[in-house]
Amino acid sequence: MVVLKKREIETNVYQSALDRFRYLFDSFDKVVVSFSGGKDSTVCLNLALKIAREKNKLPLDVYFWDEEVIMPETVEYMMRVKNDPDIRLKWLCIPVKHRNGGSRRDPFWYPFDPKCKDKWVRDIPDFAITDIKGFKHGHTIPEVSHLVYDHTHGRIADVRGLRAQESLTRFRAVSHRVKDNWITAARSGYSYGVSPIYDWTSSDVWLAPKIYNWDYNRVYDVLDKMGVGKNEQRVCVPFGEEPMRGLWQYKVGWPELWAKMTGRVSGASTSEKYSRTQLYGFGGIKLPKDKTWKDWFYDNVALYDIEQQKFILSNVRSAVGNHINLARRPVPDTTPDDITGLSWKGLCMIALRGDMKGRRLRTMSSHADPEKKKLIDQMRLKDETRY
Amino acid sequence: MKQGIDNQPVGKVQWVDRNTLNANDYNPNFVAPPELQLLKTSIIEDGWTQPIVILSDNTIVDGFHRWTLSKDPEVSQMTDGKVPVVIVDFDKDHRMMSTIRHNRARGTHAVLKMSEIVRKMKEDNLPDKEIMERLSMEEEELERLLDNSGMTIRGTKQVDGFGKSWVPTDKK
Repeated sequence: MVVLKKREIETNVYQSALDRFRYLFDSFDKVVVSFSGGKDSTVCLNLALKIAREKNKLPLDVYFWDEEVIMPETVEYMMRVKNDPDIRLKWLCIPVKHRNGGSRRDPFWYPFDPKCKDKWVRDIPDFAITDIKGFKHGHTIPEVSHLVYDHTHGRIADVRGLRAQESLTRFRAVSHRVKDNWITAARSGYSYGVSPIYDWTSSDVWLAPKIYNWDYNRVYDVLDKMGVGKNEQRVCVPFGEEPMRGLWQYKVGWPELWAKMTGRVSGASTSEKYSRTQLYGFGGIKLPKDKTWKDWFYDNVALYDIEQQKFILSNVRSAVGNHINLARRPVPDTTPDDITGLSWKGLCMIALRGDMKGRRLRTMSSHADPEKKKLIDQMRLKDETRY
Repeated sequence: MKQGIDNQPVGKVQWVDRNTLNANDYNPNFVAPPELQLLKTSIIEDGWTQPIVILSDNTIVDGFHRWTLSKDPEVSQMTDGKVPVVIVDFDKDHRMMSTIRHNRARGTHAVLKMSEIVRKMKEDNLPDKEIMERLSMEEEELERLLDNSGMTIRGTKQVDGFGKSWVPTDKK
């Protein structure tokens, strides 16, 4: 698949987004908003409400994954959203699988896991939905989000607050084609992921609630006080590989919640201290004496439990297979291969950090020679996920 | 376990010449300039409130940075170059653990509580400059702690309207 360039158009992002919402309400059987309580979904929620009102399609269907470890301000904001008579909210407390980047022993955790009720940082609200048809232990949110509203509703537009500004992966996700670039292929034939605010910047995202006086999650005001910049402020599950680098924010911003979090998953307080250090593969790693990077890669993989070893090794095996196909030579130990960008040193980094999504594996090709890189780009985009 | 009031190190504080003490060779604790300045202000304004912990051979277990500051003329003249010490008798591993515990067993300051405290000081008419100096705060920190206008205001400074919308194009 190709990645297209941006072309500015005459309308501003607000007008364009409203037009996209009009299109959704006109051409889908149902529009639902996937709402996280974050700033981007606040924009989606309010634009959807405006158009639903305009088209006489109230109440608006909204669903929220309550991931247990959330700030009190998020809970308060969600309660205000829930009490809006124009909104029909599904508040989901389901033990979906989440990554725990801080621990080799427990690489995953499950919000509201019935097996460790004594460790929960919050209780399940009595109005919450605790099971959905088709959900099984081990499912992640992207694997079950299409089950929240099933096929009996017809063609569903599932609204997400994804924005191209956030990352290269997200930019690519909305730049594959000219027409309907912000609408994904249907999941199970009926559920379409749609990103109507893909072209908004974080300034736009804050300007809209200012101009239209929308309510928002006050977590952001606290993050701002702590000095977290407007493009770095995240409201998301805390223990994943990227988010765990922000665990200090819980400690400073919500010390009472943090106190409970330290006992919630293993590795929480270790990664709060060291997630940005060599212990988690940051800031350069040093090879032990008398070892090759390849040796050390296998040493590091051996530290995981059997299931994780299988997962990492199968990802790495396919990457090495692709490398052999393209470059026709073994993977170099230290210097990235100029065609594929692969090296055992790079793979070591992945083993140290425990790259469960295979995300970094796909970005390794950035170490390749730019001319030769085109080849692998084509290969990589084939398996890019779009959630 | 050190049982009873008579056995607590802090009960036997002595004043010794700073030059008789020496640093240990393993200290993992680093103090950055703003915090070092805060420590100095603390000693000068509040006085010596805690002893330096040393072994009987005068090696420092805890209090290395207070000891470093005791060389500073302003601090030194307060006590004629003398520093308060308590002597402990720990083996090699115990003393390293003790150093870690002295430094690590502490809390964090919740940002909203800090914000409240600073606001109270403002109500008492303490000038910004004085708060910044006495707490080693940059203007940035004070300004953030005091500003309650929220992200809709703070996130849109110098933003005068919505950005241009864009679409992907396959034209060169």
